[in-house]
Amino acid sequence: MAATRRLQKELNDIRQSGLKSFRDIQVDESNILTWQGLIVPDNPPYNKGAFRIEINFPAEYPFKPPKISFKTKIYHPNIDEKGQVCLPIISAENWKPATKTDQVIQALVALVNDPEPEHPLRAELAEEFLKDRKKFTKNAEEFTKKHSEKRPTD
Amino acid sequence: MNSKSETDEASRGNEASSSNNESTPSIPKSHSVAGLCADTSSNKTKDIMKRAAAKQLIERYFYQLLDGCGNPECDNQYCASSGEARNLTPNEAAAEAIKLFYTEARLCDSLPSKMPRTDPSINIVCPPTPCVTGTAMNIVMEDNISDFPSCSSSRFMDKFKPDSSQQMDSKNIRHNNGAPLTEERIYQLCDECLQSKKPQYLIRALAEAFTQPAVLARCFQRKLGDTDNSSEGKNKPDKESKAMCSSSDPDKDVDSVTGPGLDVASCRRAFQYLAKVPSEYYSSALVTALSTLAENLIVEMKLSKTKTLTLDDTVNCFVIAFEVPDLGCSRYLDIALPLLCVAAENLPVIAQAKLARIWAQYCKDSLRHILETLQQLITLRVISTNYVRNFQLQDDHTVTMATKIMKILYYANMLAGVMEPSTLREEPVVIASQLDPLGDALDHLYPLSSIKNLKQAPYEDPLAIELGINVLDARKPYLPFEEFYNEPLSDTIEMDIDLANCKTDVDDIGNKFSFLKYPFILTAATKSLGLYYENRIRMYSERRVSLLHAVVGAAPPMPFLRLKVRRSHIIDDALVELEMIAMERALDLKKQLVVEFEGEQGIDEGGVSKEFFQLVVEQIFNPDYGMFTQRPDELTVWFNPTSFETEAQFTLIGIVLGLAIYNNIILAVNFPMVVYRKLMGKKGSFEDLADWNATLYNGLKDMLEYTGSDLEEVYYQTFRICYTDVFGNNIFHDLKENGDDIFVTQENKREFIDLYADFLLNKSVETQFKAFRRGFVMVTDESQLGMLFRPEEVETLVCGSKNFDFNELEKSTEYDGGYTAESQTIKDFWSIVHSLSLEDKRKLLQFTTGSDRVPVGGLSHLKLVIARNGPDCARLPTAHTCFNVLLLPEYENKEKLEDRLMKAISYSKGFGII
Repeated sequence: MAATRRLQKELNDIRQSGLKSFRDIQVDESNILTWQGLIVPDNPPYNKGAFRIEINFPAEYPFKPPKISFKTKIYHPNIDEKGQVCLPIISAENWKPATKTDQVIQALVALVNDPEPEHPLRAELAEEFLKDRKKFTKNAEEFTKKHSEKRPTD
Repeated sequence: MNSKSETDEASRGNEASSSNNESTPSIPKSHSVAGLCADTSSNKTKDIMKRAAAKQLIERYFYQLLDGCGNPECDNQYCASSGEARNLTPNEAAAEAIKLFYTEARLCDSLPSKMPRTDPSINIVCPPTPCVTGTAMNIVMEDNISDFPSCSSSRFMDKFKPDSSQQMDSKNIRHNNGAPLTEERIYQLCDECLQSKKPQYLIRALAEAFTQPAVLARCFQRKLGDTDNSSEGKNKPDKESKAMCSSSDPDKDVDSVTGPGLDVASCRRAFQYLAKVPSEYYSSALVTALSTLAENLIVEMKLSKTKTLTLDDTVNCFVIAFEVPDLGCSRYLDIALPLLCVAAENLPVIAQAKLARIWAQYCKDSLRHILETLQQLITLRVISTNYVRNFQLQDDHTVTMATKIMKILYYANMLAGVMEPSTLREEPVVIASQLDPLGDALDHLYPLSSIKNLKQAPYEDPLAIELGINVLDARKPYLPFEEFYNEPLSDTIEMDIDLANCKTDVDDIGNKFSFLKYPFILTAATKSLGLYYENRIRMYSERRVSLLHAVVGAAPPMPFLRLKVRRSHIIDDALVELEMIAMERALDLKKQLVVEFEGEQGIDEGGVSKEFFQLVVEQIFNPDYGMFTQRPDELTVWFNPTSFETEAQFTLIGIVLGLAIYNNIILAVNFPMVVYRKLMGKKGSFEDLADWNATLYNGLKDMLEYTGSDLEEVYYQTFRICYTDVFGNNIFHDLKENGDDIFVTQENKREFIDLYADFLLNKSVETQFKAFRRGFVMVTDESQLGMLFRPEEVETLVCGSKNFDFNELEKSTEYDGGYTAESQTIKDFWSIVHSLSLEDKRKLLQFTTGSDRVPVGGLSHLKLVIARNGPDCARLPTAHTCFNVLLLPEYENKEKLEDRLMKAISYSKGFGII
């Protein structure tokens, strides 16, 4: 399993750093290429819950970027119903192998906290976000309460 | 300008009658020296010169009418200096000049320049004779004097009467064997000319320099401190500048790279400056000078005994001549350029190689211009000539000579681009020659299958050998290879005749020109036609041989390659049959393919085998079959390194691919380009990853470009790599022994990347690919495939041109965010898209999907989504390449949509982070 030396190192680093917004990291010992973890956003309307994500690293990591998907449903202009998210930092065109996973996670957390309606995956949510922020916030809050996981207590 | 061009037009019109017989150009090739001198030019060149001379005369009348001869006591009524001629507008003067030319009116001759020679060739033979000012001009003129009896050479010279200071100059010139032009001298002359509006000194200087190879070769020399070029002997500057060259360019092979003394940049600047002077002042002089130069060069090269010019000098002349910026303009194109091409043909291979190297090293910026000029010449010639049975394209020397010089350019273009070492070659596949005793015996009696014997010596271009380059090693040519295609020529050419020329060309006699030996100029479609004829000829010859077998009473071999398959077991049957054939009588693979489906009536006239190939390919490349893997990111297939299939099976796929090319059938396969490169004999290397797996390539490239000293820390990468097999298992591989303990550092990262690429593209699929290639070569080894086609073109042969059927795409596109197929923006979008050029369509695909490849099965398999991205606004369209989503704001009108869309797809590279 040593070809994933870097991944092992990154995992250790992240676990040690104790990120507040990304917790409960679970990695199957037999396959270090798949991580699961809990995104804990700070901004409303998503600060009412936590969201489980899965990070899939390709065998060629770090020369190919990881992929991220949401396991928890979320009402967000940049994340579609299937949980797919288009994060520029890990898109094939922009990926830099020197980018560390904690940077990727931070970018993801930032995107969750502050949606970018200019580049939506769900155009209708983006429009709602831009035109009727109140309604959007209300919907998103309700959705979060209904579907999201519990936030860790500490 | 106006009046001038009118003059030209008129003179050309009037000369039309004399230039009609141009259609039989024949440049004498093997004339004796004497013959050559007496008859330097063929009819054609004579014609050309006649025209040039006429033009010049008319010009002189023109200037005489307008400006006068400068003699205050002139009594010529047609000269402005006499005061008798009325004041004319330039247009009137032009018309008048033509009249005067026809009436052979009096020209002022104030220059006492009686040229006593009657045999102009003497001077050509020894160009640097001391008397030389303007000699070559005179040679040209004198040649024509017989045609214009009343014009004497002395009259001709009066235009160029030097004033006293100039005369001093020219005296010096005489002592120096002609003073070479320098950049500064050109500046000076141009400025003078612009000030005085009198071009004669400029013309004179140009004519002096450009007519004589020995002088021209010394022009635009690199500055060498205090060394005065003009007073030096021939060799010294050469050596010195060579030394200089080596000190400035230590990497370059000094012995092979020449062009030492010549400073091309300086030459180019001089020509740029020259362009400030109205071209009518000097262009005809320059045209004439260049033509004479070409002739002098021809003579020079043919008279190898009188080595007055070194090869370097000769090459320098060509370099300078092809730097002339106006070379593509009409008169240059008509007269000077063809002659230059003829002259270039006489260059020995070594000199051609030198020229290519100089072009590649110093003239990158000019390559496109030279190429365009040559293309223009060829195109013009091809479309204005009616080729008939006994005067084919291959007999048209203007075209063939230009093609030959384009070949030099073609190699220069490769050298100027990115080349890879020629060490990365696939091992050659050796197919044991098949025993066919009876056939061989018959061949002796009736040399029917003579084609078979010719194959032994595949044609190799001597220039390529001299330069030691192979098109396979050209990773990125300076100009794209496509720019070398000449479409009118490719459309006009009769491939059957060309093929015959190619086959009969035995060095000594005949020497028929065959464009197949210059494949870069032919489009892939035309070449494939050539290949088709070749294959048909071989198929027929196979048939005739088997007929002979029958006549002699031996068991007749099948005249066709007959495959009988069951529809339900198409792969199994085909593979079993082909395997048998491949093992027992591989020669049969080259016969015409006839396929029969069991229980079906269809007789194979092509349609049945087409269907057969389709079905076979569909099944073999199906990932379920396990021989190839589909790679969703790249839309291509690749060999399955963990395939359970035997080698024989991959050989059979290779045979199928070869048969498809051989039988002219297009297959729906989507190999990455590296497969074709490998098939042609070049191993896969790092650059091939760009097409094989762009993301991985970019990641690796990023590391290669990473300059920080903490590379080891940041990447934490060892020489052990990981890949996923078809079953989704992650497999580790050590690129080196104990790879896991060797970290990638700044020092060894290149090695890591090369080993990585080598593993992915070569090592991991070695067994499978070797077998595959063997099969392919079994069918194609005797054909000219390898010689004619570049890997990119082989891909076109196999898969046809990429089909960008956007109608199909429109039908399958889905809409989101409020758009429907009926939305005005969507309707506008498609009408814009359908009118895009192929290039822009590619860009659009690249923009929305991250790849300009068409998936197997066409664009309808792309699953494009167009989503509404808000109402009209100033934003550009964006795309999620991960999901093939195009985000399109609802722009207020079609114009805006078009503008934004074009901007987005044209500047999509480097797409910034949101």
